[in-house]
Amino acid sequence: DDDADQAEKVSKEKLQKEAEIRRLKEEDAELMERKQKLQLRVQRRSVYQDFMEQVVKMTKLALRAVNSAHSAYACFLFSPLFFQHYSLGSGSEQGSGSINCKLLMKCAPNILSAFVLGITKTHNLRFQESEALQAVFASHLCPNVLKAPARLLCDMVMHFPLSQEEITLSVTPLRVSLRNYCEEGKDHMKTMYTEMSLHPDEFDFFQVGVDLDLTFCLKELRGLLSFAESHSLPVSVNFSAAGKPVCFSVEDVVLGASVVLATLIDSESRGPSQPAETLAPVTHERQDCSLAAIELYTTVTHHTQCHESETDYLRMKKETHQQLCCRDECVVYVPRCADAAVLLMGSCEADSGEPRCTHAEMDLIASSQGSPIINPPALMLPLPQTDEPNRLCELGEACASFSMTPASSTICSLLFNALSSEQDSDGYDSRLPVLACYSDGEESMQEDHSGRPSL
Amino acid sequence: MKFRGKIVDVACLNHFTRVITTVSRLTKTCVLRLTPDNLLFVLSGKVADGGVSMWCELSQANFFDEYQMEGVSSEDNEICLEVTPENLSRALKTVQNAKAVKVKLTKKHCPCLTIAAELPTLSSVSRVVTHDVPVDVIPRRLWHEFKEPSMPDFDVSVYLPPLKTMKNVVDRMKNLSNFLVMEANLSGEMNLKIETDLVSVTTHFKDLGNPPLRALEALVLDLVCLSSSSSLASTDLPPLPPGDDASQDGGPSQSRDPEAMAQARVDIRKLQQFLMGQQVNPSKAMCNIVHERVVHLILLHEDVSLQYFIPAVA
Repeated sequence: DDDADQAEKVSKEKLQKEAEIRRLKEEDAELMERKQKLQLRVQRRSVYQDFMEQVVKMTKLALRAVNSAHSAYACFLFSPLFFQHYSLGSGSEQGSGSINCKLLMKCAPNILSAFVLGITKTHNLRFQESEALQAVFASHLCPNVLKAPARLLCDMVMHFPLSQEEITLSVTPLRVSLRNYCEEGKDHMKTMYTEMSLHPDEFDFFQVGVDLDLTFCLKELRGLLSFAESHSLPVSVNFSAAGKPVCFSVEDVVLGASVVLATLIDSESRGPSQPAETLAPVTHERQDCSLAAIELYTTVTHHTQCHESETDYLRMKKETHQQLCCRDECVVYVPRCADAAVLLMGSCEADSGEPRCTHAEMDLIASSQGSPIINPPALMLPLPQTDEPNRLCELGEACASFSMTPASSTICSLLFNALSSEQDSDGYDSRLPVLACYSDGEESMQEDHSGRPSL
Repeated sequence: MKFRGKIVDVACLNHFTRVITTVSRLTKTCVLRLTPDNLLFVLSGKVADGGVSMWCELSQANFFDEYQMEGVSSEDNEICLEVTPENLSRALKTVQNAKAVKVKLTKKHCPCLTIAAELPTLSSVSRVVTHDVPVDVIPRRLWHEFKEPSMPDFDVSVYLPPLKTMKNVVDRMKNLSNFLVMEANLSGEMNLKIETDLVSVTTHFKDLGNPPLRALEALVLDLVCLSSSSSLASTDLPPLPPGDDASQDGGPSQSRDPEAMAQARVDIRKLQQFLMGQQVNPSKAMCNIVHERVVHLILLHEDVSLQYFIPAVA
């Protein structure tokens, strides 16, 4: 009897345990499902946030300047959030929603330097319409990157007098040094030579492939350094080789600035010998070295038909919106988290059906190399979990047919509109991130997201 | 020829820098004499400078923690260099927070005074800064030009008013005239006068006090004694003004009317240059005037003496 009871008990327990196991397995499965859903939401949200960031960045006020020798270029970008009030009127007939003009910088400091509470001053500045000007420089493609607080760089350059023109930055894996550069000449013997060096450890980020000597104009850089220091921003230094430009950039939530400087092509450079295809070298008074100029592109935005292959996306766009792209040149926006300030421009080949970046100097970015415009909905699927900065290149391609200099609020609404078209099936809606539903003045299509962006 | 010095104390470095900055404001180039005990910045009066001369003496022990030098030879144990003090000043100003600053004579692309500093950092490896200041070595045969100027046979010696006040006055006078007359007497009075066709302006200073001759000598002697060397060569002492033994004790004051002014007309820019350069209030500031010949300004700090001679112009 006891044995029988015992056996019964054991079998009961067994059943119970099995039931529990099943229950737990079910629970587990449920939790896994929930976890996946949440992960999906998080992914979408981060894609959305990144994209929103890029969109906000695309709408901007850009101040650009270049010196007469084309050896120094500066670009300051301000997002509308920087301003109390930012409105782009209907003044532009170009249809691109952007205004490109030239201003005399002389008046700017006077206007901007005195702010008195309680007084509203209105200044009317004359301007000339002009073409937008940008440096052709893919700073994110530079193999060598240094990043340091502005304070460190200021401490480095303070050893040199304000009158010091050129400076040589010497980089090796063990040492970073700065010394003043003086060309051979009558003053060579009388000049005071200064050199300061420090350990790469002092930099926040230090990535240097080969030993390198870069000579550039220090005077042009001081402005950015003091700007960065006053805002306590870290400075990124991107460079590839002597003779190629070096880019110093800073970035903040609402603004970004970069200065691109030409560097000397030094025949005695320690680095690997540079191939002949340097940027349009301009011979100077120097004997052995020549200063490579920074090549500049001007964009001409005009109202023309786009001759690219008409995907669903484009057709839909044409029906509802005005043409934005131009035939001769199109801009591929190559975002890079740390450097939204520099745009890479290429030219469209009207014959081929696809936009291409064909500028000889730039290494083509893999994702944009002759690839067709991808149907946007596919892009909006949650992207694989990678941290590659050019993940957003793919999103950027959806904008390939847009002119991006400088984008206006029209483009933002366009992006939203384009993705919320009737063409998308319901199935898509639920998988699309929020941005598919947000637009200027249109009703929201999904409720599960808090906080609409206001454009 | 070898020279190597090291400064580790931040106050010494600061003081040293300020002295060199003062010198740099007085002259574009000058001679630096390095002796076992002193550093001397010398400018010998030349017509091109308007005849001003300068003598600035620092006692090395008050600044350097380590100091080693080997002169041209054992008899002439000295180094004479022509240098641009502004370069030295600029180099030193950037390294004020250094852990240690070394000054050495080196040969780079040319003879240089190299200022090498180690700067503090958060990382394990210090930052290193080097400044190579080019110099010209002055050959021995020219050394006689750079001897300490002898104390002139002055007529009046008076303490200067506060330098800042003097500077303000001279700055304003410079707008009106290129020449200024400095006059003083043994009653502690000094006047600064300018005169043009349209206007004449005089600023009067009273109760300045007059250093007795003996005191003046003693002060200069004290300074010489600050150097650690025990032997005092006779050339180190300024010669006493000539005169009979009776008048030695009281100096010129004995035979001179205390109210009588001794004056000298000088280029106002030279005086302004001297006043502009002063960065620290000296412990003693005085002026000797040789009537219509020269104005001799002396500033004494704890460890530095500066003498500046401005010749009178007609």
